[in-house]
Amino acid sequence: MNPKPSTTVVSHTEPPLAWWSATVPVAMGYVPLGAVFGFLFVQAGGSAELAVLTSLVVYAGAAQYMMIPMVAAGLPWGAIALATLVVNLRHVFYGLSLLDRWPTQGWARWYAVFGLTDETYSVLTTLPADTPTRHWVAITALNQGWWVLGTGLGAWLGAQATVSWQGLDFALVALFAVLAVEQWRRRTSAVPMWLALGTYSVAYPLSPGNALVVSIAACVIAAVVWQPKEASHG
Amino acid sequence: MDDATYVVGVVMAMGAVTFALRALPFVAARWLQRHAVVARLGRFLPMAIMVLLLVHASVSMAQGHVRGFWAEAVAVLLALALQWWGRNALASMAVATVVYVVMRNAA
Repeated sequence: MNPKPSTTVVSHTEPPLAWWSATVPVAMGYVPLGAVFGFLFVQAGGSAELAVLTSLVVYAGAAQYMMIPMVAAGLPWGAIALATLVVNLRHVFYGLSLLDRWPTQGWARWYAVFGLTDETYSVLTTLPADTPTRHWVAITALNQGWWVLGTGLGAWLGAQATVSWQGLDFALVALFAVLAVEQWRRRTSAVPMWLALGTYSVAYPLSPGNALVVSIAACVIAAVVWQPKEASHG
Repeated sequence: MDDATYVVGVVMAMGAVTFALRALPFVAARWLQRHAVVARLGRFLPMAIMVLLLVHASVSMAQGHVRGFWAEAVAVLLALALQWWGRNALASMAVATVVYVVMRNAA
């Protein structure tokens, strides 16, 4: 019986409610959104364990919603990986703005990269420049914790539910609508939207099955050759 | 969804693709910043792809039943309007999805 030194003095090295309080609004979004994923995954015939595994390994909301009908239809994994690439392409452009402040320690650096979702990105951009690496990692881990917790709750609920609701998977369409509005708010030009609508409406009657891929290819080519007006004097 | 090996394989592939996209700026920052075309893609592609995904997901959804495009059109417009004026992503998604489910399940 080794008496431990008393620990009555509480460390006050950082103000309470400071660094982690920004994850509270993320929790209010991630727990219900994760629950919808878990619910839909189980309702489509998947197991709760695999739903939680997906939220641990993939950790990308829109891609996870999108995979459910694709996996239920038994599509090849290459097709699902390609769809994930398209849905998550925007993430390439997030890291660029945080580069000089990013944690440098090995595992912390790569876990923070792994957890760079839309919401975590927006929280990290509000942190002061001298934020220690452990807070940076803890915020990322807390956010993923909310997502995994929600997934588990939703999967459990989905396993109990006896009535399956038609159309609950509209949540994915609604998520795309929300993200499209936020892109529109930050637009520098309306050309990308008109081009997307134009190419899709041409491609769809020709080949409904390939309309999405053809339209995305057309938009990539257009982006490469596009000369924005405001950049012409630069 | 019964074949656990298949689902785990899909999950691993999706995780690898997502991680690679998030890691790209950190391993190829100088290359990405040196090329003006990357900045153009960054300005152009996110909106174009999100609009395409929205249209494609709506069209696919409307083809899953025989009641026309009305439910999708109303619910998408509702989600867009709520997000534009309300700026609360979760509320926009929840209200639009509930309205859609009611429209689809109403007799």
